[in-house]
Amino acid sequence: MFSTRILRHVLFLLMFTALGIARAQAPEELKIGVIAPLSGGGTAWGLALQRGAQLAVDEVMAKGGLKIGDKVYAPKLVVFDSQYTAAGGRVAAERLISVEKVKFIIGPIGSPEVLGALPVTMKSETLMLSNGFAVPILKNPENSPYNFRVLNTSVEFGPAMVKWYRENYPKSKKVAMIGPNDSVGQMVVPQMAEVYKSQGFEVWSELYERGSKEFTPILLRMIAQKVDLFDLAGNAPSEVGLMIRQARQSGFKGHIWQAGGPAVDEAIAIAGKLSEGYMSFNVFDFDNPKAANFVKAYRAKYGTGIINAQTPIWHNATHMLFESMRRSGGTDVKAVRNSLEKLDGYEGGLVGPVSWGGLAEYGVNHQLLHEFLIVEVRDGKIMTRATITPVKR
Amino acid sequence: MFSMAMFGQALVNGVSLSAIYVLIALGFTLLFGIMRVVNFAHGAFAMLGGYALFFAYGQYQLPYAVAIIGSALLVASAGLIFEYFVVRWFYHKMFQSMIGLMGLNMAMVFTGVIVWDAHERSIPAAASEVLFVGDLVIPADRVVVLAVAIVVLFLFWMFISKTKYGLAMRAASQDVEIAGTQGINARRIYQVAFFIAIFMTALAGSLYTQVYALSPFVGERILMVAFVVVILGGMGSIPGAALGGILLGLSESFLSTFFGAAVSTFVTFGAVILLLVVRPWGILGEPE
Repeated sequence: MFSTRILRHVLFLLMFTALGIARAQAPEELKIGVIAPLSGGGTAWGLALQRGAQLAVDEVMAKGGLKIGDKVYAPKLVVFDSQYTAAGGRVAAERLISVEKVKFIIGPIGSPEVLGALPVTMKSETLMLSNGFAVPILKNPENSPYNFRVLNTSVEFGPAMVKWYRENYPKSKKVAMIGPNDSVGQMVVPQMAEVYKSQGFEVWSELYERGSKEFTPILLRMIAQKVDLFDLAGNAPSEVGLMIRQARQSGFKGHIWQAGGPAVDEAIAIAGKLSEGYMSFNVFDFDNPKAANFVKAYRAKYGTGIINAQTPIWHNATHMLFESMRRSGGTDVKAVRNSLEKLDGYEGGLVGPVSWGGLAEYGVNHQLLHEFLIVEVRDGKIMTRATITPVKR
Repeated sequence: MFSMAMFGQALVNGVSLSAIYVLIALGFTLLFGIMRVVNFAHGAFAMLGGYALFFAYGQYQLPYAVAIIGSALLVASAGLIFEYFVVRWFYHKMFQSMIGLMGLNMAMVFTGVIVWDAHERSIPAAASEVLFVGDLVIPADRVVVLAVAIVVLFLFWMFISKTKYGLAMRAASQDVEIAGTQGINARRIYQVAFFIAIFMTALAGSLYTQVYALSPFVGERILMVAFVVVILGGMGSIPGAALGGILLGLSESFLSTFFGAAVSTFVTFGAVILLLVVRPWGILGEPE
């Protein structure tokens, strides 16, 4: 009788000890907010963001979770659609911060949505790794203490691209830009116009309401200006494909390129054969042998559709965030931010080592500088014409 | 900048744009005219038409005529299921129909996202050539749209004005109770009208997505265009939809070409607001 009681006590003790060990080792959930345009013209980029970040999370979880100090975390993405609008970005940020209680956000992508989310994230001191070409995303009175931009903008790649074009096509004299009439077009078009003018180009530009699908009348105005180069500048993937198709169907014979984006695969999918000769800024070459495992993982999870070139960028950004947490030894936002600022040289993804710049242009070193490509569509395939590294300033 | 060549090109662009707009608006105005239903799921049915054509013509490579008619028939047939379970409860309940069908629209769109992904796709053009007539440049796919719009308008006019079902539809749209006393089965007439409306909407959606691009969200723009066209022409008026589509297409083309996109948007929506103030029932509509 006595021995049975002892045995029962020992069993209980063992059971509780085992439960305690299991509890101590079970990864703690770590919510990471994702704000991405998952509807409308920027959907391809939104999916790139969501999927790139998710693949990084999957890689971490495959190794047993995110080990920070003596704790193990299970990162979990909480995704909100920002619809590529300022209102969408703001609402998503408010929901993530006040309802989901996240302290770290990946995205958004477009200037309107980033500018919409920024006042909310700055006030709540939430760390955001975003994109958006608008200068005030980084250059603002507060010096963007908690916002980092993880893609080159037209400020970084624009001058180098225009210089390359000038050297390769010296006979071109006049350039046209048709951009959306929102914070993207209103900032990118004038900024790129100055870059073109500095290289001796005459510039014609026009803005349209985002959501338009019929560009033929504007393209007709453009053709009447006898331009040599049509720059798609700050347009989203679906608009890029339609503009190429409609420009060629309207008889435009000049060069078409996008010093922005990138959305080359989407352009080929929508414009088909009419995308032949189209040139663009691009951020990643999926034929690079380094990308093989990434492509395999993507295919296994998301099927055979287009892999937008931004996907590795967001995969990289998510790994940068995780590495900053590891180095800071916790999830305190200020400590992670300080660690992220010192991440130069870290290589966690597929787009090369981290290099922060932007002090000269934005007053803060929160602009990630990474190698970029100038590509051209030839026989329906993407061919690299040049590889350029932005100058650190 | 003005030249006769540009004027001619703006006219060609305007006519092709008008054809698309007329097709988009027909199904929308028909449902309102007969059942007093504001079909906020109009864009979603158009989207289904696009996906049906994508698979029938783009993937399974059926002959174009078979693919485009078959796609619209398929969507219209599937539409009858929605009619039975959802739409019929909102007949002659204008405001309730707006909210109810907005919900149906969201359900259809996001089911589309789950099934087909949110990526934009391209449907191969039925004719990809570009025709040159003097100084004019005419994409052949726009000619196809124009031809389909003319044929559909003609057949629809024949149906409404020359057949017994057409007569019954007109009677039911004027007074459903009196039509009932004349032996007209209103339920059957509503089903036929719904089938035809969704057939035309799916057809318009197929052509629209073939000319532009296809995604589950394509219907947002289609719904907006349908609304503007029927407000211009008059809610429920078939000739009004044709006139509204032509006015919108031509004004957008000429204003955008000669004055720019901003002026075009400002003038077009300004005209719609003005019309709502002075003649809220539209150009060819009738006051309630």
